[in-house]
Amino acid sequence: MQDDLDDLLATAARRPVVPTEALMNRVLADGLALQPAAAALKSAPRPGLFARLSGLFGGPPVLAGLGTAAVFGLALGYLSPTTLNYLTGASTDMAEFFPEADFLTTEG
Amino acid sequence: MAFDAHGDTSDEALMVLYANGDRPAALALTQRVTPRVLAYAARLLGGDRAEAEDVAQETMLRLWRVAPLWRQGETKVTTWAYRVATNLCIDRQRSRGRRRQLALDDAPELADGAVGAEGQLQEAGRMAALEAALAELPDRQRQAVVLRHLEGMTNPEIAAIMEIGVEAVESLTARGKRALAAILAGRKDELGYEGDRDAG
Repeated sequence: MQDDLDDLLATAARRPVVPTEALMNRVLADGLALQPAAAALKSAPRPGLFARLSGLFGGPPVLAGLGTAAVFGLALGYLSPTTLNYLTGASTDMAEFFPEADFLTTEG
Repeated sequence: MAFDAHGDTSDEALMVLYANGDRPAALALTQRVTPRVLAYAARLLGGDRAEAEDVAQETMLRLWRVAPLWRQGETKVTTWAYRVATNLCIDRQRSRGRRRQLALDDAPELADGAVGAEGQLQEAGRMAALEAALAELPDRQRQAVVLRHLEGMTNPEIAAIMEIGVEAVESLTARGKRALAAILAGRKDELGYEGDRDAG
């Protein structure tokens, strides 16, 4: 009986169970009805005023460098020469610009 | 039904495409999974075509719903579908509360074949007897025998569907086949094997 059973099972396995067109259409209709909509391509959000301004100067890193330079420039402009000497370790008192031109300012 | 435009795409990739709104993916999954689930359900439900169709449609409905949450690489689509269909068939059998003997006209629809009308009738009778015998098996044995011998799955695949170990699958299949042979031994005349052997 074992051989007969094997034959029988093999025959049964070869017999396709054909789905009806109506079933396939119902299944597909369910699938399309439940299908998530295709993700819409979203446009990038419009940048804000600050972002646009920083972009004008080359972006945040460049803007940061510019800001730092501006702060140092202001600080150097307001600081007294004494403090500047202290910072730079040099003396501005001894500076002589155009020493050979003094004779031009003397009379006689 | 239209042509499957995703012939080379894996079932798992189709699930992702479907979840992303790809309509041909819905068609491809319908054409690939539905016939297999229908055949399996028909065999588990003793050839009850109407109930098998309900199970197939319900299984596919759940597949559509789970698609957006599908995680590739965890399980195969067919394994998942067979598992869902198995549970649905068990629920239906429990609610039915009985296993009815299969009538000849309950046999699944025959595909066009080369066998003649008489041979086809005899083969249909044998199939009906087989399905009736399968229906007498305990649920787990029937599932294992159907998946192994009718759906052509490997033991590890069956283990994944039934959520048991491979050794348990081997045991269920062996016991199921022995029980099936014992049931069919009493119906040899009905199956027409005596005549076949004598003639051959």
